[in-house]
Amino acid sequence: MVIYLIVLFAVTLVYFASAERLVTYIRLIGAQGLLLCGIALFELREVNTINMIFIVSETIAFKAFLIPYLLNRIIRASGVTKVHRQAIPGFYLLIFSVLALIISVLLADSLVNPFVNTIYMTIALFSLFTGLLLIVTHKLIISHLIGFLIMENAVFVFSLAVGNEMPVLINIGILLDIFVGVLILGFFGLRLKPHTNELTLLKD
Amino acid sequence: MAGFLLILISAIFFPGIILRTKSIASGRKGQGVFQPVRDASLLLKKGSVFSTTTGLIFQIAPVITLSTIVCAIMVIPFANQTALISFEGDFVFFSYMLALGRFFAIISALDTGSSFEGMGASREAFFSMLIEPAFFILIAAFSMFTGFTSFSDIFSHFFITGNHYVLIYSIIGFYVFIQTALIENSRLPVDDPKTHLELTMIHEVMILDNSGFDKALIHIGTWLKFAIYGSLMYNVIVPSGWNIFLQILLFLGVQSLFAVIVGLLESFRARNKMNKNPKFILSVSAIAMIAFVIILILTHKLNQ
Repeated sequence: MVIYLIVLFAVTLVYFASAERLVTYIRLIGAQGLLLCGIALFELREVNTINMIFIVSETIAFKAFLIPYLLNRIIRASGVTKVHRQAIPGFYLLIFSVLALIISVLLADSLVNPFVNTIYMTIALFSLFTGLLLIVTHKLIISHLIGFLIMENAVFVFSLAVGNEMPVLINIGILLDIFVGVLILGFFGLRLKPHTNELTLLKD
Repeated sequence: MAGFLLILISAIFFPGIILRTKSIASGRKGQGVFQPVRDASLLLKKGSVFSTTTGLIFQIAPVITLSTIVCAIMVIPFANQTALISFEGDFVFFSYMLALGRFFAIISALDTGSSFEGMGASREAFFSMLIEPAFFILIAAFSMFTGFTSFSDIFSHFFITGNHYVLIYSIIGFYVFIQTALIENSRLPVDDPKTHLELTMIHEVMILDNSGFDKALIHIGTWLKFAIYGSLMYNVIVPSGWNIFLQILLFLGVQSLFAVIVGLLESFRARNKMNKNPKFILSVSAIAMIAFVIILILTHKLNQ
């Protein structure tokens, strides 16, 4: 079952590279939250029940609902709906995304470790590269933030891979989630001026 | 042989089911299921008109295109039966037979000397080039999964590998084949066969100069291509070891379902902007790549 969820997670990453609307990005972030919750539920069998309940409820609350909700608010307030300010055309972004997948496989293969599942490693690296690509190729700050969220999901996937051995790593990942929630709410959500590009466009 | 005949039979119904679905979805009484066949038979009885600017290529291209498609059908297996032609690496033969047909369609469009047709030919070549990696990556993934390199062996061993993750490959295979069929046949969302503006056409603009008998051959080729991809879809979702009569029913069911899906897509989906098409097509290749990577990892091919 976990494999199915991981494949879906990887498909959402490809979709990130081809999507053009910020609403789609937010839906994908929410979907990734739900998928990560499912992966955590099926993967972490050796973690104690209370910790498990905390991880699953936090993943659903923060990753699947709170962060997408906050992002949605920002988009409504800013009036920016399309990711039309890209440094390179989306077609090349997709090619880079495929290259990132190939590099992730090769890296995961070369960093082979008996305690870490290669699939998790590959998808975590792919997610990391996708987040980086989004940050590098987009000009809107909101896209950078979404890129950062994808990278954060990469950290979460990797922590799930070693979660049975080191449960504390997942909790550290969750702290990062909470940090991002506060960041979005404080830095963007409350200071944004409606219908201006002041906080949405990256200045050179 | 049964597979070959079933593909021919389902190709007869395919365009009619698409039209029927579209007419029901839009609330029209619409045409009967056999109307496209009647139209094609009418065209077959007519002669062809050739422009004075066209040469031999334009005259022979429709026949070559249809014959390459028929050759491609011969490597598609059905149930546990081996295809009419089966050899190691026959999927390359399959793909390049279709590519040869398309090549002739493209140079035939260029042969007319029309700038519109040249534009359509250029788009068709570009989009076909982009979708080809998706097909090859997917078949390479299946090949790695089953350990065989011919369609007959791949599909007959697809569900008996003992691998629990076969459902992933079935779903991804089904999705990629649907998208490939839509793109190869120039249907929505990449191209709209009902469009009337030459500037936005892809495939239709290439065959503007064809008439009568030749046009009927082109239409029949399109139906056959749909049935070919429907057959490939069937092979990745139905185990080959099932009862043959049940398989025949399921085959016709899958083909009809595919035609209904195409009809519904054409009823409810908007066509892509032309500049969005490359990205859309490449995303299909990227999804096939994910299937390939997952198989690479699950079959432990990397760490050996």
